[in-house]
Formats: sequence, structure tokens, C-alpha cells
Amino acid sequence: MKKYRIGLFIPCYIDQFYPKVGVATLELLKKLGQEVCYPLKQTCCGQPLANTGAEKEAIPVYQNFVNNFSEFDYVVTPSGSCAYHVKEHFDILKQTPEVKKVRQNTYELCEFIVDVLKVDDLKIEYPHKVGIHQSCHGLRGLKLGKSSELMTESYNKVRGLLEKANGIELIKLDREDECCGFGGTFSIFEPAISAKMGKERVHDHLRNGAEIITATDMSCLMHMEGIIRRKNENIKVVHIAEILNSNRL
Amino acid sequence: MSRDKILQRLKKNAPASGSLPVYAAKTDLLSKELLLSSFKENLAVSGGKWIELDRREDISSAISENYPMVADVTKQDVWEEYSPSCSKEKLASLDTLMIEGQVGVAENGAIWLDESNFPNRLSPFIAKNLIIVLDIARITNNMHEAYQQIKMEDTGFGVFISGPSKTADIEQSLVYGAHGPVSLLVVLIRMTSL
Amino acid sequence: MKQHSDKALQFLKDEPRADWHDQTLWIVRQKRDKAARSVADWEKLRHQASQVKDHVLSNLDQYLIQFEKQAVANGAIVHWAEDADEFNHIILDIIKDKSASRVVKSKSMLTEECGLNPFLEKNGVEIVDTDLGERIIQFRKEAPSHIVLPAIHLKKEEIGELFHEKLGTEEGNSDPTYLTSAARAHLREKFLSAEIALTGANFAVAETGTVVVCTNEGNADMGVHSARVQVHCMGIEKIIPRTQDLGVFTRLLARNAIGQPITTYTSHYRKPKPGGEMHIVIVDNGRSARLGNATYRNSLKCIRCGGCMNTCPVFRRSGGHSYGYVIPGPIGAILAPCTDIKKHKDLPFASSLCGSCSNVCPVEIDITNQLYRWRQEISEKKLFPPLKRYVLKVAGFAFSKGSIYDFSGKMARLALRILPRAIVYHRINTWGWERELPAVPSESFKEWYKKNSQKEGGQK
Repeated sequence: MKKYRIGLFIPCYIDQFYPKVGVATLELLKKLGQEVCYPLKQTCCGQPLANTGAEKEAIPVYQNFVNNFSEFDYVVTPSGSCAYHVKEHFDILKQTPEVKKVRQNTYELCEFIVDVLKVDDLKIEYPHKVGIHQSCHGLRGLKLGKSSELMTESYNKVRGLLEKANGIELIKLDREDECCGFGGTFSIFEPAISAKMGKERVHDHLRNGAEIITATDMSCLMHMEGIIRRKNENIKVVHIAEILNSNRL
Repeated sequence: MSRDKILQRLKKNAPASGSLPVYAAKTDLLSKELLLSSFKENLAVSGGKWIELDRREDISSAISENYPMVADVTKQDVWEEYSPSCSKEKLASLDTLMIEGQVGVAENGAIWLDESNFPNRLSPFIAKNLIIVLDIARITNNMHEAYQQIKMEDTGFGVFISGPSKTADIEQSLVYGAHGPVSLLVVLIRMTSL
Repeated sequence: MKQHSDKALQFLKDEPRADWHDQTLWIVRQKRDKAARSVADWEKLRHQASQVKDHVLSNLDQYLIQFEKQAVANGAIVHWAEDADEFNHIILDIIKDKSASRVVKSKSMLTEECGLNPFLEKNGVEIVDTDLGERIIQFRKEAPSHIVLPAIHLKKEEIGELFHEKLGTEEGNSDPTYLTSAARAHLREKFLSAEIALTGANFAVAETGTVVVCTNEGNADMGVHSARVQVHCMGIEKIIPRTQDLGVFTRLLARNAIGQPITTYTSHYRKPKPGGEMHIVIVDNGRSARLGNATYRNSLKCIRCGGCMNTCPVFRRSGGHSYGYVIPGPIGAILAPCTDIKKHKDLPFASSLCGSCSNVCPVEIDITNQLYRWRQEISEKKLFPPLKRYVLKVAGFAFSKGSIYDFSGKMARLALRILPRAIVYHRINTWGWERELPAVPSESFKEWYKKNSQKEGGQK
């Protein structure tokens, strides 16, 4: 397998609240033979500001991202929404070679493993009933899989990596790719609908026997976990990086 | 004048043009049997019924039991009874109207007819029951092909009818006979009329 | 004016009812999927439809001129209305000219947009909406909550009570077949005595001057062929170039809207009936201006199928009346700010930007992108309250500087660890209404990394 020089981007809420996910991502990439660097001056991809309408205010944040990451072959992040935001919405920056390079080479973790490293079997050990939550930006934005609205050939990069795990049982949901309702600041400005949508997702997983909900985005999982803990539901959330890192590599 | 102001604004604001798509003349090559079974299936899904007969001559004996009061406008004298000047009361009293269809569409069970097929534009809608006679040979695959066969320039009113009138506006419960006919029977004729 | 979030909160208070609304529309979405799957080249069709609409928008003046020429040659009278006010007056003038007082109308969101019904009623004209769902909401004096399924928010018991009051049906009888047949009898009387029939237009074909109207009930035809005078109302963007283009749209519309291969009736009106009169009213009402805006002009491609509403998880859980605009849901959220950005500044935020609507749209409108762009415009126009604007500015500064970002993060985590629950979960913390905040770890990833990379001998 080719060895690349990778800049690891850890989203703000993972940095602050879920460092384990960052650790798992780092360990996994190293196990896969990559040279992983973590620029210490990194902050945020700017999504929280931009989705609220303040993309102009986010420009310095975007610049900081580009400054920190333009030297690497690839930028890898355990977040579909952050990767999508960089690729899609950094279009308002002046498109210097550095900006273009960063936009082109920023990847969410699963798509990096499948599309760049071309690994499809991570020799995962995971004897659990797992429900995959298809985070929207990863699914419809990065096209990590075919979303249910489209009438094209079926594929799913996240599922593809999990299917081969030893002992895993991937459960089938009633609504395979409905949004969890986090939506960034949506969760704060439309709290009633946001919470209702999250509850419905959690119940879909519970109804169909999942012990664990996983996703490419910790934001979705943080939102669902908040509901799970408030209602004391019998189900856990685990980020995909941690599952993929439970391996014999 | 509003017309000119609107047109001027549209011209001024027009984006760069793209081209129109070119449609394939014939999409799939489906067998006659498949076209027919597809048509029947889709008609049934819309709540329509069908019977299959060899010739037009067989129609009255086939339907007389279920449809005792048929106004068959393929007959000249009946046609004249329901002309455009005919009273609303007479039209409203129509129990069953029988008319000819021109083109059938397999993908959705619809049939194209125009005002050359009925004497009064209200008649196919106000009748309590509707019967459409259609040559099986005139069933085509889909809407693209159906439109290729229609001469829109020749008609003042035409319609695709795919079933009895219906609604699901009350809690999504399907009810037939919303305003138009409560039933549609399609009489499929095997021998092509000359 | 109450915002979408307030109305949504109200809607969700009756949780079983909200669930019923959500599940009902989800079923329609599933029917759509099944119907779409049965068409071999569904995605190609969507793309063709998008191409046709794009082409039309670039040549709309030419196509409208062609349409008018054909329509006039067919014997129709063509009118043009700049705005809602002019449209309403044109309709009233036609009615007055015929000394008519009995008008029936089949579904037309354009007439809702222009406020035609209240205007006519003020001028002494009885206008009866003949689509069953629309008649129901007309009786209730409320707006449609969905552009294709106007009474989707109502239960049959409520309709039963309404018909008992208005039509004299049996008290307590809420059987849909019984109620529908009562409506059939009631509306038949209206059809047969109507002097003027109004319709909307699903499509208007430039090549032949044809107006196409799609219904399941047959109510457009019942009115148009009964009344002596027929009037078809269309927005300028309803034009499509050729008869053959109808092939694409008639294959997409009913499947994407309600999962049917086609509506029961697809009516093509070209010439007045013998002894009759046919009018076509072409309406602008802000559309030509919107054509000039590169970001939002795609919304003009809309064929009003309602598919985006059925798929939208926010619409399903808040209902059409939460949007405060004649057209609700995702498409409404990008149309409404065009008319009044101040009034409707909440709508582009009534979305989690999940992207489902864009994937479902039969003409490939980039709804999700337009929602995002409206947010930027609303922010730039300083329509946020000052506190929110200030907070965002500060956040922009803090999040761009590594040291400040790290420090604020550390402080936030510290605060969450030491503040009492009552303060953390004060009502102002909307996250905390129904969710726990995440547990606070002892160190951030960055802190862990610094510690561990020092152990390993350091990496950047």
C-alpha cells in the first residue's frame, strides 16, 4: 500500500467532546501505513458559521484551514460534513493552487480508505448488532452511498467496510436514510423538530434490534446520544472510526 | 402594456441557452403481448376494468347484462342525441356512455381520445359509467410514443383517460366517482377494424 | 409574525397527530419511490425535464409569443397580468363582462398566490373550489397545507363534522365514500349551474397553444365543459416548447407527486367549445424579475409536484401551515424570500440541509443550495437580530485563531463541568429541552495529542 503524507483534521466538537474518535482515526491511519501529521494550529472547517449564513465571517477560518493543510498529500477527517464543506463551500475563497489542492484532496475517513487506499477489508472484529445512520452530508453530499431517492445502482462505502467485520450483524432500518435532525444550528433554532427527528431515528434503530448506532459524523451521533441519555434508552452510539479501528491489522 | 413589459424583462434577464433534449423514436421494443398485459395491469391499478373480445360486433352481447342502459355514440343517431346543444339535464341523466379510443398507453393504462370520439365534451365526464372501445393494435409503449401518434393540431380538446374518476382527499382513503364516472370499462378488440 | 419554529413547536405538541401526518406523507414518498423505480430511465427523464426547463427559461419571451400566437389562432383570448392585482382585476372583468356570478375553479396555486378568492368574494362573486380537498379547506376558511394534497392535515372525523354542518350529511358519519358522494352531489349542482370555469395550468405548449391540466377527480373538465366560458390561469414559467416534451413531463409528474403512473385525466384544452369562449391569462407576479437572479432562477423550473414536501422530514413534522407562505415545504422556503425576505427570513432555516428534496425534484432544482445561499443573503442583509450578528462575528474571529479557539473550548468544557444542572439546562439552552449535552472528557484531542506526541518524540 502506498504511503501518503496525511494531514489529520479533527472537527471542533470531536476535539472538545469526543477525543477518542480522533485517537481511533489516527491509530487506524497509522496501522494502514500512512504518515499522519496533526497541525496544532488547526481550528474548525467553518461550517457552524457558514450554515448560519455567516460565510463571509468564516473566511478567516477557511484561510486558517488552508494554511494548516495545503502542504499535505491528503487531508483526512472523521467527518462527512466537514469534508463536504471544505470541498463544496470553500469555493468563495480565491482559488489559489493551495486552495484548490486542499479542496480536491480533503477526504472523509471511509471514502479515503476505499477510494484512495483501495482497502476493502480492514479485518475488523465487531460482534455486535449495528445500525448504520447515513449522515446526510456524507451520503448525499460526498456520495458515500446511493441515497434512497435516486434510481441508480446501489452502493455504499461505509456499509462495504462494515459488512466484512467478523461477527457483525448490520440491521435493516424502516427508513434507511432519513435525516437525524441535527443540522448544526438547526438543532438550536428549531429544537422541537430537531429533537423529534432524532427521537425517530433512535426508535427506528431500537425497533429493529440495534445495540449500536454508528455513522461517519459525530455530530449526528452526539445529537442522538443526547436523546438516548435523556430518555435512558438501551442503545449506544459509536463513531465509525472506532469500529473500523477494532481490527487485527 | 403589461405584455410588452413582461416580454422585455424576460428578454433582458434571459440566461445563456442550453439545447433541448432529443428523444429516441422508440424506447424499448416490447412485444404485443407484453404491451397488452402491461396495459391491463396498469388500468386495473387505476381502478379500471377490461374485457377482451374478438370483434366489435360482440360488444353489445358481452356488456348488456352489466350495462343495461348504454348510449353508444359510435352510432350516428345516438351521437346526434348528445350534440353540443343538448341540454344539461339530458347529459346528467347519462347512465353509461360508450365511445371509441384512439391510442392506448401500456405504461399507465391510459387512452387518448379527442372530440372526434364524443359528440359533447362534457359527456365522458358526466356519465355515471364510461366504456371505451380500443383496438389492441393501438396500444403503444409509453407517453413519448403516444404523443408521436397524436395530431394535436387537428383537435380542439383531447384527453388521456386512465381510469374512473377518483379522490383520496379524505384521509388518503381511495374513493371512486369523485366527480366523473364511477367506473371505467375498456373493451379491447383483437381484430383490427379496417 | 410567528416564526416557523414556533408554529412547528405547536404542531408537535399533539405528538400522535404529528406522527400520523408524518407517516401519511412518508407513505406517499414510498409510493413515489416504487413508481419511479418502475421507469427504466428515471434519472435520464429527470435530466431531460431539467434540460427542457433550462432551455425554456433562456427563451421564455419567444415561447410565450409563440404560445400566444397559436392560442389566438385557435380562437382563445389571451390576457397578460404583471402582478396579482392586475390578474385579479382581469378575472373580475371577464366575470362582470358576462354578468356572471357563479364561478367554479379547479386547483390553481397561482390563484392562491394572487389571493383571487377573497378578492372575488369581496366583489360579490361566488367562487367554488371544486377539487374535494380544496372545497374542504374553503369551507373551513383556511389555506391548503400541501399543494397537491390540500387537506392532508385533516382527519376524516373533522371532515365528517364539517360536511354535517355545511352539506347536511349524517352527524357522526365519517365514512370517506359516504362523504365523497355527498360532495359529488353538492359540487355537481355547482358544475351544472356554473357560468364561468377557472382552471390552472400544469403545462402550456408553445407549439400548439395547448393548456394541459392533470386531475384525478375530473373536476377541471366538469367545470370547463359545463360552463360556457373557460378561463385558464398560468404563470409564465409553465411554458414548454413542443408536444413531444409533454412525453417527459407526463411521465414524471404523477409518479413523483403521488406514485401514480399518470393522473386519471390529462386534459388538453386548445379551442373553445362550439358556442363557448376560452380565455388564457398569463401571469408574471415577480417571475420575470427572478429570472434575472442567477442564484435563484432555477426555482422557476418547478412543476408543482409536491414531491419535495413529501420527502422533507421537517415538512412532515411541522405541516404546511407552519410556513406562512402560500407554497410551503422546501420549494416554498426558496420561493417565499423572493417575495418578501424580511417576512420569510425564517424559512431557509426551517431545514437541516439534508438534501433529500434536491434528489427528489423531477426537474433537478438545486433546492438545498438555494436554501444555503438564502441564509447568506439574509445574514448579509443584516436581518438577524443584533446579538446574533455580534456573536457570529466574534465566533468567526475566535475560530480562526488556534490559540483563542483552544482557550474558548477549554473554558466551555470547564463551565459545563462545574456549572449546576439548573443553569446549564436553563430554558434558554434549547439543545437541553429534550437532549443531554455530551459528557465532558478530561482532555481535548489536541491536549491528548500534544502529550502523546511528546512521548513519541514529537510530530509537528
